[in-house]
Amino acid sequence: MLSEEKLQKIKDFTFTLSREELIWLNGYIAGQAGALQGSVSAGTIPPPINKKITLVYGTETGNAKKLATQLAGIAKKKGVTVKLAGLDQYRFSDLLKEEYFFVVISTQGEGEPPILAKKFYDHIHEAHLDLKKMKFGVLALGDSSYAQFCKTGEDTDARLEALGAQRILPLKRCDVDYEEDALHWIDNVVAALQTNVGSVPSIARPAATEEKKPGGKKYYRGSVVSSVNLNDRGSNKETYHIEISTDEEIEYLPGDALGVIPPNCDAAVEQVLQLTGIDPKKEVKTPKVTASVEELLKKHLNILFPLKSTIKQYGTITGHAVPEDSRLSLPDLLKKYPVKDASMFEEVLQILTTQAPRMYSVSSSPISHGLNEIHITVSKDEFYVEDEKRTGVCSEYFSTLPLDTEFEFFIQKQKHFRLPDPDKDIIMIGPGTGIAPFRSFIAERDASGSGGRNWLFFGEQHFVTDFLYQTELQDYLQTGALANLDLAFSRDQKEKIYVQHRMKEKGAELYQWLQNGAYMYISGKREPTSKDVEKTLVEIFKEHGNKTEEEAEKYLHQLAEEGRWEKDVY
Amino acid sequence: MSELPNLSSTEKIKIASNGLRGTLKESLLDNYTGAVREDDTSLTKFHGMYQQDDRDRREERSAKKLEWLYAFMLRLRLPGGLLTPQQWLTLHHVAGEHTTGVIKITTRQTIQLHGILKSHIKPTMQSFNTAGLDSIATCGDVNRNVCCTSNPAESPVYDEVFQYAAKISEMAKPKTRAWYEIWLDEEKLSEKTEEDPLYKDRYLPRKLKVGIAIPPNNDVDILINDVVLIAIIENDKLLGFNIGAGGGLGSTHGNPNTYPRLASVMGFVENDEQKILKAVYEFITVQRDFGNRSDRKQARLKYTIDKMGIDKYREEVEKRCGFKLEPARPFEFTQRQDRYGWVQDYKGNWHYTVFVENGRVLDDEKIKLKEGLYKIAELGKCNFHFTTNQNLILADIQNEDRPSVEALLNQYGIIEHTENAGALRKNAIACVALNTCGLALAEAQRYLPTLISKIEPLLQKHNMENDDIVLRMTGCPNGCGRSPNAEIGFVGTAYGKYNLHIGGDRLGLRLNTKFKDSLDEGQILATLDELFGVYQQEKKENESFGDFSYRKWIL
Ligand code: SRM
Ligand SMILES: Cc1cc2nc3c(=O)[nH]c(=O)nc-3n(C[C@H](O)[C@H](O)[C@H](O)COP(=O)(O)OP(=O)(O)OC[C@H]3O[C@@H](n4cnc5c(N)ncnc54)[C@H](O)[C@@H]3O)c2cc1C
Ligand SMILES: Cc1cc2nc3c(=O)[nH]c(=O)nc-3n(C[C@H](O)[C@H](O)[C@H](O)COP(=O)(O)O)c2cc1C
Ligand code: SF4
Repeated sequence: MLSEEKLQKIKDFTFTLSREELIWLNGYIAGQAGALQGSVSAGTIPPPINKKITLVYGTETGNAKKLATQLAGIAKKKGVTVKLAGLDQYRFSDLLKEEYFFVVISTQGEGEPPILAKKFYDHIHEAHLDLKKMKFGVLALGDSSYAQFCKTGEDTDARLEALGAQRILPLKRCDVDYEEDALHWIDNVVAALQTNVGSVPSIARPAATEEKKPGGKKYYRGSVVSSVNLNDRGSNKETYHIEISTDEEIEYLPGDALGVIPPNCDAAVEQVLQLTGIDPKKEVKTPKVTASVEELLKKHLNILFPLKSTIKQYGTITGHAVPEDSRLSLPDLLKKYPVKDASMFEEVLQILTTQAPRMYSVSSSPISHGLNEIHITVSKDEFYVEDEKRTGVCSEYFSTLPLDTEFEFFIQKQKHFRLPDPDKDIIMIGPGTGIAPFRSFIAERDASGSGGRNWLFFGEQHFVTDFLYQTELQDYLQTGALANLDLAFSRDQKEKIYVQHRMKEKGAELYQWLQNGAYMYISGKREPTSKDVEKTLVEIFKEHGNKTEEEAEKYLHQLAEEGRWEKDVY
Repeated sequence: MSELPNLSSTEKIKIASNGLRGTLKESLLDNYTGAVREDDTSLTKFHGMYQQDDRDRREERSAKKLEWLYAFMLRLRLPGGLLTPQQWLTLHHVAGEHTTGVIKITTRQTIQLHGILKSHIKPTMQSFNTAGLDSIATCGDVNRNVCCTSNPAESPVYDEVFQYAAKISEMAKPKTRAWYEIWLDEEKLSEKTEEDPLYKDRYLPRKLKVGIAIPPNNDVDILINDVVLIAIIENDKLLGFNIGAGGGLGSTHGNPNTYPRLASVMGFVENDEQKILKAVYEFITVQRDFGNRSDRKQARLKYTIDKMGIDKYREEVEKRCGFKLEPARPFEFTQRQDRYGWVQDYKGNWHYTVFVENGRVLDDEKIKLKEGLYKIAELGKCNFHFTTNQNLILADIQNEDRPSVEALLNQYGIIEHTENAGALRKNAIACVALNTCGLALAEAQRYLPTLISKIEPLLQKHNMENDDIVLRMTGCPNGCGRSPNAEIGFVGTAYGKYNLHIGGDRLGLRLNTKFKDSLDEGQILATLDELFGVYQQEKKENESFGDFSYRKWIL
């Protein structure tokens, strides 16, 4: 079927290739074909690779799962038998039997595994397993704007090897724009399976796409046009509704989050400069950025909540015995454990990690608020360090940001946290700032005239001072955009009442909605609400769906599988 | 309601309310708002509550996407204005737990509490109920709190007269059990609403007020009431009451059809309880049947009487009573202010009248009045008796108990506070107005104290500081602080602006007249300075400021 001349080209080219390269090319071409979604006619399919692999994923916001599923599809097209499993479901005892084991796993928090993969992560690190039989490869999802880029993937990869498993593919680290890299990785997997030699050196992806801005994120310039503290006088909380406007149209969907890398407060920067006597203007090159000391401290480095590892290195550099688990801020460190001189501090600058981006669930809707405007709902994060009150870097930044100040932000797609078809009912559980994405959901559905009903559970401390977006929600009730609004104000009566209590009260109706195919969402602080809510849901399913504990849990899990129980918790 | 075309909306709400129940129970369950449903705001009044919001906070709350700070003002039903010490303790605690904390003594001898959140109403009502108190019909189109001259030392027949306040209040109390069902979760006995021969299903066209005075003291400002009873006493015997009607002080800026009016005394009824109650009852039914139900600004009894004519009104009452009113007996009032300090009554009991500026009982840097009164109540040695001048009488103290009460009065500087207050301040009244009153156009109780401090130097300048001039301020022309029958009346027109009224007499028997429009503070002080000057120059021998200004500037 190939033209003479094409065939000739291939012959000339393949002639120059080594055996291994040829093997890889075989897989690569098959991969390309596979990527064309089986559009290739049967005739050209390479002989099936009759091998069985296990492909597991560890995910928080669903990227790893999406990817793993897609990769499994491609592999199957090549005749590979794929057992696909989430790490929360995977039976650990199977590890010993695995022959071909591939892992797609993301990193969360400060280089931590996704909640659902934590058990697995701990298991392989604690248990003494003999994985000699196992051949493995790891695809790590991450975001290079975090200090510990793809840490969980790295740990997993290293640990499997330490347990005796054989790495047949080098660890692949993927940044936020992971699609291409991932396809390339599965090609390598297939190639590896085709060779009977244990391992193949992975083939680098085409050079062209190699250099790219780390993170590969699109940054927008915006300025704050309005900022109000939604909590009334006398509240224990400060929650800022912030409206940001841009010249450029913002590409986002309800459910997405807005990300910013917050500057450190001037006070802290000043302190550091004074304590070290270093010249603020001095240009310094650090692993990721080169800039004046002043700018590094202000814009790029995490000086207020250094990682444990950083603190450890600090001790080594300065020769002080800094307690292992302390997480002192840099100013506090410098006070307690001073550096010898400015040049010693330059060494310290090298070990400081970059400032992590902070996410804020977008609380505006593209349809109803337009594409040149975006809203977030930021709660001031206050905490105590040795009974001295401190405020979180980013929430401090936003709560004091003067109007019209310009700053950069990016959109963190949250593909898992999406509105369903317009005619579907939705149940939204959003205590505290958890209301943010749901303000977006309701506004979007209201503006686009969706037929589905909307049910919101909201909770805070006090009705009078903490009812976030009260008048907006009242209007939605009036117009019917909200079918149900259930409220829990925990401190307005002797006994504490939370959203899960309201859910229990409305259990029958809630189960009804789910039976009718409703989609359910939760957003807000992970602790303690999300756990309690899931417990309550199980109870509701038991009572109103007369199910056993197991059946109820299965029902919840099934909802999650169907994408009808989605979380945006932090 | 097509068969009732020109009824005011409130009339329709009353009729549809099924015994004042409306949808109040549902409103209480609407937990997304601090307000009750629109129609229910008219009905809460019949239960003794006004829905209000903190007007100081409106803008800020709106910016925060929070609704206005809705809360309820609750008014107790206290015929004659009397509380036992135990009830004062309850009041003190309720005020602390569920309200702004300030205990407000009103110009009708009762208590108002402000800032009660919707979710706190039931517990508040329940605590009062257990203390034997209620708020039934203290607002709304019904008979309001019945006032009675407050100082027991006024007369040997005081108790006999005082009893009538409670009897009239009971007689004119709505029959519906709604208050008990809604606020105390009492079971609804039958599906059909209770029969109410007096109020029927439409209640009265408008509020109606009954007052009882014991000459020679007109502390109750008797003639401002819709229905008035003036005790006629001869050598220590109660002969009966002069009875009359048609008082009311409210008016509306720019609406000439509204005006203050003093009651007309229409006759005398001998001291026969049945006859007296019957007469009062029928004075009310005539207003019920002849009052205007389409225009609420023309609905008060005073307008009905002017429409019908006094004689016609009397005849209608007599017809319904089945007996004629005798010709009114002569009576004389010689004072209107409270008798501050200690007085002893005919039984030998002691009464101490405490000066409470604008009736606001609270603790501030100057004086811990609220705490002091709480301690005194704990002694259990005196009743708490309120005056229509917004003051408090610690009443019915037996001789041997006086020292213990006096000790606390001294300890908390209450005696000092009462004695040091200047004459003008002591006789002054200001209504609530901002920040809670929805009708206020200007400040009153939050402003008058400072204004008086600025007027006092003028009085000294003209050596008038000991004159018992009656000065009153209201935040709008409704006259809650009875500004229309003061010697000097300030009536709010806009924030910081007041009409100046003069020419009322000292005893409250002549209304004042508007003298100047919308003055600001500077203009007020300048004008008063001038008037005081002329008064000092030209006044006759012990001619009151009110009488002088009437003769000089009004006539
Ligand atoms: C608390 C009190 C003034 C005070 O500082 O003590 C008061 C306060 C209010 N009066 Fe009054 N009136 C009060 C005695 C009076 C008096 C004086 C009296 O009765 O001795 C009058 C003039 C006599 C009369 O009735 O004409 C009075 C004539 C009014 C009026 C005008 C009625 C009219 O027909 O002209 C209104 C407005 C209305 O009813 O539409 C009104 C309405 C109000 C309201 C409820 C405003 C409202 O309707 O929303 C005020 C509540 C303010 C607040 O936040 O507390 N209030 N009101 C007095 C409570 C009396 C009681 O315990 O029942
Ligand atoms: C997908 C997603 C959506 C989110 N949506 C929202 C939202 O809609 N609204 C919202 O308010 N937040 C949201 N968050 C949380 C938000 O991203 C930030 O985590 C939060 O605002 C705190 O950031 P910060 O910089 O103010 O505090 P940080 O400075 O990051 O501090 C955070 C915590 O670290 C600890 N800490 C920091 N410094 C020290 C120290 N020196 N010593 C000891 N402990 C210390 C404290 O416990 C503190 O609470 C979301 C997060 C995610 C991942
Ligand atoms: C709160 C938060 C913390 C994160 N921390 C890290 C991190 O420390 N290191 C990293 O490489 N990526 C980090 N990421 C980026 C995620 O790993 C990245 O978004 C990945 O695509 C998520 O995949 P998942 O949806 O399968 O969980 C973080 C993301 C979030 C929202
Ligand atoms: S006089 Fe006017 S302002 Fe004052 S309390 Fe009465 S209604 Fe309110």
